[in-house]
Amino acid sequence: MPRSDLSIAMVGSGGDGVVTMGDMIAQAGAREGLNVIKVEAYGPQIRGGESSTTVRMAASEIYAQADYVDILVVFNWKDFARFKGEIMVAPDAIILSEAKDETEVDGADLGAGQDATWVKVPFIDLAKESAGTTLAKNIVTLGLLSELFNLPRKPLKRAIEKKFSKKKAAVLEANIKGFSAGVEFAKGLGDRFNDRRLEYEPGEPRLLMSGNEAAAVGAIHAGCRFFAGYPITPSSEVLHFLSEWLPRAGGSVVQTEDELAAIGAVIGGSFAGVKSMTATSGPGLALMTEMLGLASMAEIPAVIFDVQRGGPSTGLPTKSEQSDLWQALYGSHGDAPRVVLAPADVEDCFHTTVDAFNIAEEYQIPVVVLSDQNIAQRRETLSMLTLDHEVKERLAPTPEQLDGYKRYEITPNGVSPISWPGIEGGQYQTNGLEHDEYGRPTSMFLTHEKMNEKRYRKLRPIRDEYHFIRRYGPDDADVGILCWGSSKGPVKEAVLKANARGIKVAAFVPQVLYPFPKHEFEEFLKAIKEFIVIELSFSAQFYKYLRTFLELPEGHTHIFKRSGGKNLTVAEVEEQIAAVLPRAMTKREVLV
Amino acid sequence: MSAPDVTFKPGDFKTDLKPVWCPGCGDFGVLNALYRAMANLGLKPWNTVILSGIGCSSRLPGYVATYGFNSVHGRALALATGVKVARPDLAVIAVGGDGDGMAIGGNHLMHSCRRNLDVAYILMDNEIYGLTKGQTAPTTPLGDKTKSSYWGNPEPAVDPVELAISTGATFVARGFAGDLKSLTGIIQRGIEHRGFSFINVMSPCVTWRGDSQYQLLKEKLRQLPEDYDPTNRGSALRYTRETEVLTTGVLYEVEGPTIGDRIEHIRMMAQEGGHVPTTREILERFMPTV
Repeated sequence: MPRSDLSIAMVGSGGDGVVTMGDMIAQAGAREGLNVIKVEAYGPQIRGGESSTTVRMAASEIYAQADYVDILVVFNWKDFARFKGEIMVAPDAIILSEAKDETEVDGADLGAGQDATWVKVPFIDLAKESAGTTLAKNIVTLGLLSELFNLPRKPLKRAIEKKFSKKKAAVLEANIKGFSAGVEFAKGLGDRFNDRRLEYEPGEPRLLMSGNEAAAVGAIHAGCRFFAGYPITPSSEVLHFLSEWLPRAGGSVVQTEDELAAIGAVIGGSFAGVKSMTATSGPGLALMTEMLGLASMAEIPAVIFDVQRGGPSTGLPTKSEQSDLWQALYGSHGDAPRVVLAPADVEDCFHTTVDAFNIAEEYQIPVVVLSDQNIAQRRETLSMLTLDHEVKERLAPTPEQLDGYKRYEITPNGVSPISWPGIEGGQYQTNGLEHDEYGRPTSMFLTHEKMNEKRYRKLRPIRDEYHFIRRYGPDDADVGILCWGSSKGPVKEAVLKANARGIKVAAFVPQVLYPFPKHEFEEFLKAIKEFIVIELSFSAQFYKYLRTFLELPEGHTHIFKRSGGKNLTVAEVEEQIAAVLPRAMTKREVLV
Repeated sequence: MSAPDVTFKPGDFKTDLKPVWCPGCGDFGVLNALYRAMANLGLKPWNTVILSGIGCSSRLPGYVATYGFNSVHGRALALATGVKVARPDLAVIAVGGDGDGMAIGGNHLMHSCRRNLDVAYILMDNEIYGLTKGQTAPTTPLGDKTKSSYWGNPEPAVDPVELAISTGATFVARGFAGDLKSLTGIIQRGIEHRGFSFINVMSPCVTWRGDSQYQLLKEKLRQLPEDYDPTNRGSALRYTRETEVLTTGVLYEVEGPTIGDRIEHIRMMAQEGGHVPTTREILERFMPTV
């Protein structure tokens, strides 16, 4: 039976064109209106070294990269060995590897079963014979994959034409020949792979973007006109995109000397009345922590977009983890209210960034957005239509309020009108020192207590106004899963699959981690029998955070936590569901 | 809105806060010179921003009726960068002490100079940490005994002026808090200058350096020669690392594009025909091109 959901992984050395190949396949899929998720992984080398790209394409909606790839292309087994445990194949996978590479491979190491098909392909020879250069290996492969698995042929050819259009005509011609050689080689393999051919109805072309790009577009949409940042993996694409597009939108970008300067400049820009943002990763957020407290104290809107990677210290710069949570929630001296948001997929990076600005501006509070490498760097298809979002502005003082202006006037919701330079009569002198309603420094206990109370008071209306929750599965579920961020993808996929089989499992995914949507979550907890927290943090940061303000069902709470470095899989979630389901079922019978 | 011809006297720039500084502190002189310079320049308080870090002198923004921000230790220039780049229309002044600017915030000075950020930065240099009560600063002379160098300071001092000249500031001056008239002139020129103006003001700390610091400084102070040419970097550098004397005045002043000018140029290149793209137009960039 042909497939409507197909995953292909390609592994090689730098120079093998693996990444280009992944790009072309993903672009072709997006062009045909397919749902696509593409991830790349690299070794630590700046150039060269091993690289892999995995593309999942499906006719229906998909929420995560596949646990197991259906098709694996290996140019060099030595490179593949570096991804051991990270790229796993389906038991019946088709494994296409370079004929010249005679490395002995144990199929069990990559998850291949007895039904797997191993095909030696003379990629090098085919490329040399057809295109006159081994460089065309990836193009030969594209032809081969296209023929064997029905990958969109026309857009792939256009991608090749586009790539080589600026080179000499002979180069393009050679690559077209390479593509055809791949097609012909595939034909020679007969029809034995027909059951893996991708079947789909072509639809309207879809956007193909990464979480970091979506966040950057979200920032511009929200009205951000000043960005200051310091390069750090895996957040730099936000800086890259904004360096090109923010000037087009009339804004400015400064690549600062360090993260201290970045957050400082953001606070300065925002103080000056311009919506401002920075983007960083864990080590950078650590450096910004002091001034996160400054933004909290001086009540200056600030958006800090943190793309998590494995930690602590330099950790795993190119791999995902959910371990910046405590740092985002609690990192600061003193009592420093802030808001912590977490996008759960690429599209969400757009929306959460706009919300981050809305909350920051409306409530004059720093907002940390916790993205992670998984959603930040993978490319995913999206619909143009869903990428819109209401934009809010900060509250300026009225002319009456400017008479004896109290910048930090104590109000019922904690928000005081904020003026900015250029507003005549709105001048105020603020500081990181505790201050009175006028902004004048003070060390008085009574004022400190009153102002702490004022600053924290903002959290309640934020919780009431912004409590985006994703909820999957039936209302009366036996098993309930709580997760956040990129874990949503595999969790959602596992939950929907289980539901389709009649298993009553539900998931709750909050987009605002602080202030936590406590009431909604307590409702969720009431309806379920067994509860699982899933997170990629070795010390279970999320679970322990919940414990600080929630009673979790004793004896019925389960934790699945592990280090990052490898994305959560659907199978891991399914195992957790299977493990607790009997308990839930028993309990149900008892209750009945 | 006020009529455009409204002018402000130095006293109009005062807030009702009383400075926390010790009687006799050099920073009073700097504050008074700044009030005068701002009045002379006709600055509008609502279009002016003063930023600082932490330290005795960093309390200054609270005493000026413009927009003001007393931020965290060492980051006055980081904040000033954001203010000036985001709002090039504003007059931006950064102030602070030698510990704030030369130690914890030293990195930002180099990069503000290099960028030629259009900000006037007034460094009140008392060669000591005052607020934390008398520890060694990067500007404390080698061998001096302080609260944190019981046996004498084992580190040679930095000359902030030399640093500013060599890292690209386009206006560098040295002043003395005890000479209100000259200092007002220097600060005025510094604010007027387009580009990064670095003004190192010797501002005595009577509490931790003793009353004698005034006298010692006065004895060392020299004026620049009348025919001095401030456009020559080499000449300017000759007045750095002075030990026996201390030369005041505008040591270096050249014209050059600011980071603001360069970013404005980028905006012009980016905005073909002045068109600001809509979100939808930006998203088009992500449609498949094959």
